[in-house]
Amino acid sequence: MATFIRFRARRTATQATHFGGRWRGVPLALALTLVVALAACGGTGSPAPSTAAAPSPTATAAPTAPPTTAPAFPVAISDDEGTVVSIAAEPQRIVSLTPAATEILFAIGAGDRVVAKVEDINPWPPEADGLPVVATYQGVDVEQIVALRADLVIAGGLSFTPPNAVNQLRSLGIPVVVLYAESIDEALAGIRAIGIATGEAAAAADLSTATRTEMDRLAALTAGLDRPTTFYEIDATTDIYTVPADSLYAELLILAGADPITTDASYQISLERLITANPSVILLGDGGYTTAADVASRPGWSGIQAVIDGNIAVVDDALITRPGPRLVDGLRALIRALHPEVLP
Amino acid sequence: MPSRAGILAARPASRSGASLVRRPLVVAAIGIALLLTALVAGIAAGSVTIAPADTLGILARRLLGLDIAPTWTAAAETIVVDLRLPRVLTAMVVGGGLAVAGAAFQGLLRNPLADPYVLGTASGAALGAAIAVLIPVRALILQFGLLHALAFLGALTAVTVVYRLSRVGASAPMTSLLLTGYAVGSLLAAGLAMAMYLSGTGLRQIFSYLLGGFDASSWIRLAVAAPLIGLASLAILLRARSLNGMLLGEEAAAHLGVDVRRERAILLALASLATAASVAISGLIGFVGLVAPHVVRLLVGPNARLVLPLAALLGASLMVGADLVARLLGEIPVGVVTAVIGAPFFLALLRRAHAGYEL
Repeated sequence: MATFIRFRARRTATQATHFGGRWRGVPLALALTLVVALAACGGTGSPAPSTAAAPSPTATAAPTAPPTTAPAFPVAISDDEGTVVSIAAEPQRIVSLTPAATEILFAIGAGDRVVAKVEDINPWPPEADGLPVVATYQGVDVEQIVALRADLVIAGGLSFTPPNAVNQLRSLGIPVVVLYAESIDEALAGIRAIGIATGEAAAAADLSTATRTEMDRLAALTAGLDRPTTFYEIDATTDIYTVPADSLYAELLILAGADPITTDASYQISLERLITANPSVILLGDGGYTTAADVASRPGWSGIQAVIDGNIAVVDDALITRPGPRLVDGLRALIRALHPEVLP
Repeated sequence: MPSRAGILAARPASRSGASLVRRPLVVAAIGIALLLTALVAGIAAGSVTIAPADTLGILARRLLGLDIAPTWTAAAETIVVDLRLPRVLTAMVVGGGLAVAGAAFQGLLRNPLADPYVLGTASGAALGAAIAVLIPVRALILQFGLLHALAFLGALTAVTVVYRLSRVGASAPMTSLLLTGYAVGSLLAAGLAMAMYLSGTGLRQIFSYLLGGFDASSWIRLAVAAPLIGLASLAILLRARSLNGMLLGEEAAAHLGVDVRRERAILLALASLATAASVAISGLIGFVGLVAPHVVRLLVGPNARLVLPLAALLGASLMVGADLVARLLGEIPVGVVTAVIGAPFFLALLRRAHAGYEL
């Protein structure tokens, strides 16, 4: 008897058009794809531990001993692409194909059953460091995953994990749960989905609830404050990329007490629009590649209020763009950058 | 590769009786040996190390039905039987099919630069695949998704449009066909650029299709595509006589009793079908279809009866080998490998062409 749990009703994968590429500039477009895709799922900024100095109590909270209720397996979940994934028994050999999934698996206590992970240029948690890497941005090593006798694979949606690899793994009888998040609620639902798939449902539900509670508490701190017009820079190497209006990142920025300058699903914004919006704060999610001085010296940027006032801060984008247990740390980092008076 | 003197000698020599028989046989034997080596290497090597004895044991047990007690893990068996075997066989079929299609296009268009993609197949397939990526439908039928279906249809539609547009009165002159192919291809490339611009995160998927690869091969996909490619190639092989006639020019061919218009339409359709099925399962892999027929012509002369089957052998070996290299270098796109091997090779070939090589 399979317990059918539909944890999230969703339409089939909306192909969010994240950003564009030009035919002639394909290598460039690919490079940007790399930057944004890694930012979205991996983070490209400075090493995480520096800004995540205080480990989040919610992320590391020891889950209350999950009551052993009715047998959790077999289980069938409908993943974020609407595929119903059946898992026969509690997975003992889990492969994580997104950095967020790696973090979630360890945070809910399934870390000791993870046998391999995706390449993570901003690795977290440290316990996952020694794991074999079976996927990179270039692709997924299906042979290795088969050789590791994986019995559950957590993959990324919106083409983060190549659909071909997902299909191939499924055709070999390996359950693959595809997840992605475009809002905080979806990120929390992803945590719960991984909990159900791994038999750590109680711990995952606790983590999800604790994250939501802490986020609400933090958001309350900024509720009555002035909201500075804020530009969050994902990348500005050639074109300028910032957060779409309808995204997890914009949601976090608003909770942190910002009035974010947003764009459409292309992630691109023109310099003209940016100058017109005239942000009073610039947050650099690409702080690993650029500095406040670089920003000030960019042609056309010198008239922007944030540049005149020197209100340019670097934030760790791995915390903000990775829909995992450290989102709450990301919110904290944003509040510290925007409203240090309420969260020293 | 034969020496320059060898090539110069080969052409007159191939007219004489003994060499006419012997040389193609030698080339065929080498081709078969090459293909077998590539297949074995392709099955033996991969990112997971499996002992050669185990690989042989698995193959003997699963393919020949021998009763061998497994000394290997179930995972090793899955890797060999369900991942590597369909993969090398798909590469073989696609390589062979593209080489035959390339040889047919070169002969039909009497143009040494023709390849299987010359009449818009590639751009049509690419645009179809890109549009499929933009449409959020994930359904799979027999492990074929929308991407494969639209790539296949796109390729065939493009060729059909090119053929119809190029007709002047009752006939479709070669130059008109080539130029129309180029124009339609450019238009489709613009559509592709637009689709890529709009594709967002799907860009990566489109790009990997454009570079081609066999990493998603499976038995079911092979079972659907192989008959299409195989039968179309076989039908082309059976029409080698018409192709030979057309090499002499349309008038000469007509004098030889070839119904030029009909034969050309049939050959174009068959070559396009083989190409479309190939690009649908493996993406756009260049150079094999261009280079393999030329190499064979250098070795045995222009007779299509010899060129077509030998090009199939060589194309298959090249593709399996290129895919192996791609895998060993960490799953780089196979199209990159064939281009890196193929382009310098083709340059060398062009230099030799001054020594009297002709189609």
